[in-house]
Amino acid sequence: MIPAPLSPPGDWLELLRLPFMQRALLAGLLSGGLGGLLGSVAVLRQLSFFSDALGHSALLGISLGLVLGVEPNLVLIPFAVLFALVVAQLVERSRLPSDALLNIVYSSSLATAVLVLRLAAGRGGSLEQLLFGDILAVSNRDVLVEGVLLVAVLLYLLLTRRSQILVSLDPGLAISQGVAVPWQRLLFVVVLAVVVALSIKAVGVLLVSAFVVIPACAARLLAPDFNRYVLLASGLGAGCGVVGLLLSGLFNLPSGPCVVILQLLVFLGALLLSSRGSWRPSA
Amino acid sequence: MLDVSFSLNPETDTALVGPNGAGKSTLVQALLGILPRQAGEVRLLGAPLSPQGQLPPAIRAQVAYLPQQLPISGRFPLTVAEFVGLGWEPSGLRLPWAGRRGRQAAVRQALARTSCSDLASRLVSALSTGQWKRVLLAFCVVRPRRLLVLDEAQAGLDPQAAEQFQSLLFDLRRSEGWAVLQISHDLDMVRRTCDRVICLNRSLRCVGSPDHALSPPQLERLYGRGYVLYHHHHHGAPASATPPQP
Repeated sequence: MIPAPLSPPGDWLELLRLPFMQRALLAGLLSGGLGGLLGSVAVLRQLSFFSDALGHSALLGISLGLVLGVEPNLVLIPFAVLFALVVAQLVERSRLPSDALLNIVYSSSLATAVLVLRLAAGRGGSLEQLLFGDILAVSNRDVLVEGVLLVAVLLYLLLTRRSQILVSLDPGLAISQGVAVPWQRLLFVVVLAVVVALSIKAVGVLLVSAFVVIPACAARLLAPDFNRYVLLASGLGAGCGVVGLLLSGLFNLPSGPCVVILQLLVFLGALLLSSRGSWRPSA
Repeated sequence: MLDVSFSLNPETDTALVGPNGAGKSTLVQALLGILPRQAGEVRLLGAPLSPQGQLPPAIRAQVAYLPQQLPISGRFPLTVAEFVGLGWEPSGLRLPWAGRRGRQAAVRQALARTSCSDLASRLVSALSTGQWKRVLLAFCVVRPRRLLVLDEAQAGLDPQAAEQFQSLLFDLRRSEGWAVLQISHDLDMVRRTCDRVICLNRSLRCVGSPDHALSPPQLERLYGRGYVLYHHHHHGAPASATPPQP
């Protein structure tokens, strides 16, 4: 697909004045920041694949809502939370490696969802829209919800910073220090499920895990301490969200994939910088 | 594990010894609530430990644990100073900047006590095994405690660092009244520094002074007939024991 030629600058400014574009940019900022924030802990806990499975399960939740004639958004969050809790228990109690289990879960979720969507043909949005999202279609309400969620997640991580770090380092040490590890793990998984579910509309099922994983991985390579790691992950996520959207508008490309490609370039840059020791912790 | 019952006193250093697979680490983790307990009763500093491992927060804050291993995979963006600071903070919901000055002062002091001041801004994932052990000890001593549980804490330390480690443990016991329970395979160190020895091999085999618990008949009872003692050259005394080879 050959992108449309660059529009003249006047058109860009006109584009930025359009309410739907302003909402999309705000949604990109908030989704990206939220993904980076939560991803900073998810990556340390090795939950990257888990967030991918959650994204795929969200499609199943939406498709079931469509078939049952229930507003998909009402089904999505409870379904995602329930799914997350069940899978977390399965991973913990099973004797199989977690990556194999999660592969089974997300590929079968996706396959089931596609079949179920066939039954609900015509009753909901297109499959492509669900898979890749449509950030240009976010409403004021969606932006408000993302904003409230960002504040809530920030507060959650601030208040439980000690527990998050200790559980990520070593659950045994965390227990010895009074952290209720099972409850902390469950709560984090629920928060992750809610964030992933609410980001699906803007980012899509297939790419939502990238928003959680890639900025945090880039930050992990560069940050000299934990506080700057979280800030950098969130900042990179937010920055890629906004710039990626602008680029998608400039070149008339799908927004979600544009953001993820930009995140990848940022990650590769971080990889290069870290290998050159440009921002090393002091020895 | 069967028939294990013992108590610890303040200002004492108690060693837990036994062959590999005796259940030493399992016992210690059950005592701390890290592993669930199926039977028996545990009281830490007078408070009962629930089978699920729950203790009142005020009691839990007085217990420190240094695990046998704490491997870190990949680059973990957490400095030594940040990590030791986590040991100072109480459990529960709390904003990170609360008590910042007190925490920073306590961290500086803990790092100085464990000769880790030069490591403060290093990432924990960039430390050697010995450095990491010292930092973990700093994590344990950053706030006043009453019980310190160590699982082969001195494994991986060079002789000088091990002596400093022992010196700090002695100071914690005598000056601050800590009780120390440490798992160790170094019988020479145990004989020289510990007040009491608990011998464990799936069940309690002996409890007593080092001279009694580490006597040849007791060692035979613990490790089996034909056990082998390995000598440390720098101490010139029996250092560790193993069961007989098949």
